[in-house]
Amino acid sequence: MGKELITDKEAICLLMLFTMGSTLILGVGSDAKNDAWLAVIAGLLMSLPVILIYSRLLSIFPGKDLFEILDMTLGRLLGKLVALIYIWYAFHLGALVLRNFGEFMVTMTMPETPIFVPMLGLGLLCVFAVRLGIEEIGRISAYLLPVLMIILLIVLGLAIPQFELTNLKPVLGKGLGPVINGGFSAFSFPFAESAILLGAFFCLKTKKSPFKVYTLAILFAGTLIMVLTIRNISLLGQLTSKLYFPSYVAVSRISVGDFIQRIEVTVSIIFVVGAFAKSSICLLVASRGIQRIFKLKDYRKVVIQLGSLMVLLSYIVYDTTMMMQYWAFKVYRYYAFPMQVIFPVIIWIIAEAKKNKSKPAGKKAPANE
Amino acid sequence: MFIIVILIYSVVFLYDFLPLYKQKEWKEFIVNACLGLVSFTIALLLSFNLKIPSPEAPIREIITSIFGK
Repeated sequence: MGKELITDKEAICLLMLFTMGSTLILGVGSDAKNDAWLAVIAGLLMSLPVILIYSRLLSIFPGKDLFEILDMTLGRLLGKLVALIYIWYAFHLGALVLRNFGEFMVTMTMPETPIFVPMLGLGLLCVFAVRLGIEEIGRISAYLLPVLMIILLIVLGLAIPQFELTNLKPVLGKGLGPVINGGFSAFSFPFAESAILLGAFFCLKTKKSPFKVYTLAILFAGTLIMVLTIRNISLLGQLTSKLYFPSYVAVSRISVGDFIQRIEVTVSIIFVVGAFAKSSICLLVASRGIQRIFKLKDYRKVVIQLGSLMVLLSYIVYDTTMMMQYWAFKVYRYYAFPMQVIFPVIIWIIAEAKKNKSKPAGKKAPANE
Repeated sequence: MFIIVILIYSVVFLYDFLPLYKQKEWKEFIVNACLGLVSFTIALLLSFNLKIPSPEAPIREIITSIFGK
């Protein structure tokens, strides 16, 4: 089989969609109330060092994915153990995104449909996409992201007349504490989730592209999320942190001259694309991990079974929407912290040490020639 | 309801497992069979309206016991 390659532009679009995916709909940093936009900035600043570590890892081992890196740095046994944890994380995250999508569909747009139907539809789509490979996922995200941007900008433009910027005041009214707290939530919920992409960016072209891809995509996505958070707060005020899906309600308030109304379906379109990109990447990474652990020939062969398992897990994972909200904003950050920060930092330190050890030997070799 | 589950899974199994069996890729076959059996069991139990314990509860309990609610 030929090696899969995606261009930097496609990778940036993929990572942007991955980051914005479920954040656009669930909102971010609800602890910080009307300072949530500051919390996004705080989360962005917190995530920058971690992002640099991810891209450094990818550039130390070009063409390798997370599971090979784990094998090379931690050894066979420990590497497999950590790989299992990462497979579970990717698989669970994919199921959570599917569940978010299902909850959104059932509470907001199609209340009479059983929740299993939209999740099954999206799950099937993800299985098809992953069977086609990461090149196709990259291409579809490079194709869809500009469309989404145009939609977002038009909706933002229509919303501007109804902005009440007094809702943003008082800035830092309760001090820095809630902002830092919300920033940690924003750090773990959209930004540092890009640790999953370590398992999918084996296909970047050059050694330098990980830095470019990671920093540009996270900065763009962070700016967009910040702008949209400001939009939500200035349209809804204190309501923002009390709603399950603030973007949807905020956009449904837009009405221009009693003529352009009920344009909240645009939010659904954006969310469908984002959830699709995110859960298909998660499925891809989980199946690649299984391929590496069991030394299979091709990751495409386990995708159907893993995808059906993912849909079933997403069906049983929560009982209520309240539980989903509680999980997303209270539990998830501690649960994901080891996978997002601790393991990558340990791997990075070991990788740098190993690289420095092998460097003198590498320098000697050309001298001997 | 469980008849639908069995029908769908038999179609999926035929589509997914026959090529693996014909090409004699036993490793893939075994891994796939394990995953498929787990998902088939869960789907069958769900079709009987049984409640399956979610993995979120133990994780949540551990985390709230360490960091507080």
